[in-house]
Amino acid sequence: MRLLLVEDEPTLRAQVGAALTDAGYAVDSADNGRDAHHLGHTETYDAVVLDLGLPVLDGLTVLRRWRDEGGTMPVLILTARDNWHEKVAGIDAGADDYLTKPFHMEELLARVRALIRRAHGQASPVLQCGALALDTRSGRVTVDGVAVTLTGHEYRVLDYLMHRPGQVISRTELTEHIYAQDHDRDSNTIEVFVARLRRKLPADCIETVRGMGYRLTTDSPLQPSMT
Amino acid sequence: MTGAPPRPTPRWRSSLRWRLLAATLAALAVALTLAGLMLASLFREHVMSQFENALRRQLDQLTAQLEFDASGQPQIDTQTLTDPRWQRPFGGLYWQIDRLAPAADGIRPAVLRSRSLWDTTLQMPDDAVADGVVHVHEGHGPRSVPVLMLERSLSVAEQPGTRWRLVVASETQEAHEAVARFNSVLAASLGLLGALLAIAALAQVSMGLAPLRALQTALKRVREGQDTRLHGNFAAEIQPLIDDFNGVLDRNAEIVARARTQAGNLAHALKTPLTVLSQAAGQPGNEASAPLARLVQEQTNTVRRQVDWHLARARAAGAQRLPGLRTPLAPTVAGLVRVMQRVHADRDLSIDMAGIPPTLSFAGEEQDLQEMLGNLLDNACKWARHTVRIQAQKHAPMPGTNGPGLQLEVVDDGPGIAPDVRQAVLARGARLDESMAGSGLGLAIVDELAQLYGGRLALETAPGGGLLARLTLPAAA
Repeated sequence: MRLLLVEDEPTLRAQVGAALTDAGYAVDSADNGRDAHHLGHTETYDAVVLDLGLPVLDGLTVLRRWRDEGGTMPVLILTARDNWHEKVAGIDAGADDYLTKPFHMEELLARVRALIRRAHGQASPVLQCGALALDTRSGRVTVDGVAVTLTGHEYRVLDYLMHRPGQVISRTELTEHIYAQDHDRDSNTIEVFVARLRRKLPADCIETVRGMGYRLTTDSPLQPSMT
Repeated sequence: MTGAPPRPTPRWRSSLRWRLLAATLAALAVALTLAGLMLASLFREHVMSQFENALRRQLDQLTAQLEFDASGQPQIDTQTLTDPRWQRPFGGLYWQIDRLAPAADGIRPAVLRSRSLWDTTLQMPDDAVADGVVHVHEGHGPRSVPVLMLERSLSVAEQPGTRWRLVVASETQEAHEAVARFNSVLAASLGLLGALLAIAALAQVSMGLAPLRALQTALKRVREGQDTRLHGNFAAEIQPLIDDFNGVLDRNAEIVARARTQAGNLAHALKTPLTVLSQAAGQPGNEASAPLARLVQEQTNTVRRQVDWHLARARAAGAQRLPGLRTPLAPTVAGLVRVMQRVHADRDLSIDMAGIPPTLSFAGEEQDLQEMLGNLLDNACKWARHTVRIQAQKHAPMPGTNGPGLQLEVVDDGPGIAPDVRQAVLARGARLDESMAGSGLGLAIVDELAQLYGGRLALETAPGGGLLARLTLPAAA
């Protein structure tokens, strides 16, 4: 999952960025409204954490422009102005949730997880696909209740696929969503991650759709006969 | 320091219109009464002098006709006195000749008299008047009818030592009746004139005070929140007052807006560093730094609550009871419900706002209403199981105010709040459940804001067992 973090205060940006990265997200960040708008407009993000008090272009304007341009990514706004007037304005501008400063990092992470889940119609924080389960809160992956250890990149690929069960996801799309913008990207590495995941998970769990990409199978529940 | 309670001012003294009208009417009444009295007296004087002159001519005629026969008795040729009233008994016009001297015989009244006197005598006061001088008396004639009497005494050369008194009298009833008729016509005319003048005065006062009434209407609109400043064209004399008043209203609004902006800026300036500090303290560290981290965490929490509390109060205090505020309920509630549906989307709640009459308005700042309702709705959404209901209705005026009130109820089907801890919830910073997000100021701020508007927040148990938060606020007419 790839996030955009927009916050002008450098220390807070570093803290939140670190916490989000630790939670397994690829994070791009911006420190002013104009850059934020540009990134949100040109790149694809799974969620945005947007501070409202920004230099150059304020957060609400950035948000309105994204929505006007057809951007549908979930947006969590951060605001220091703890009044309902601003919350109503934020939600009406197209925000999906708000968090008032100061906040606890756990709460921010919980809100981001919930936003991403909701955007894909997932109600429970534990994503389930046959015997495979991914707890978005703890980052724990289990097969039939047995924990599976994954690397950061493997986790991101699986997380992205599990939010979209049954959908065909292209390699390019996966690349865009598991790496931050400044990362050296190579779509061939995706094949490596998928191959490793197939070794750790039941074999026919991730399907290759020829010439199009990958799909997480939902219709064939994994049988114990695999073993 | 206590003084005597102010006495209620009478209506005419408290109203400019009634003062003007009362003064005009009093002046009118005095002027018309004086004019009436003067006219009546002039007319009466005129009538009486005419009457007297006519009688004097009769006396002159009588004097001219006076003759004496051989025995010295007075004779009047009644044929020469042409007025028929002389002949008709009690005809109203009388003459009589008295012999005053010689004194030895005493006064012999009515030696000779008109036929109209029949056998009665005109009683004359016994005043000695010089010969030839005409003397006027008021007295009573036959049948005690009031009469005016003229007398003249004379002596004749042929009868030395003998004095005669000639008296003519005429009943004054007719003259008095004429005066009375005139007086009643005069009174009626002056009364009519007075009524017309009073109507004119009323019209003048009304037209003269029309700009003040327009001002009153404009002020009422401001008070009821239909306008935020005084609109309309006013007379040149009061326009400066209007301009000044509008200036004060504008300045008030500006001060409130500035206070809000400053509160917001302060919030921004304080809270971002607080967030940084609290995040830094939350980083895993070594054992030696753990107590410090805990201390920082605690203190940043305290600072945050203080900041929240005082900012909320500053925002609220800025707007309290400014005139001309009117916030329609329905759009504000709808905006907040949109927020709740988005923010609490995964709770799958049904938020029912059908019970908000579209015509109801709150007499206060929109942001304050948002603050109160936002906190109540957010609280309800956090705890509700399935449904949150919000409803409003008109309410009797709140004590101490004369405007209408409104009552807002936010009802959830959550666990509710036990009666014994409700008071504690309204205390600042209280949080019953630390597992829920929030600063714990919500309900306390709502209560504080409601009180600034003269209203209150009451917490009760909903019929289904959840929390019923009832907010009483002033309504805009």
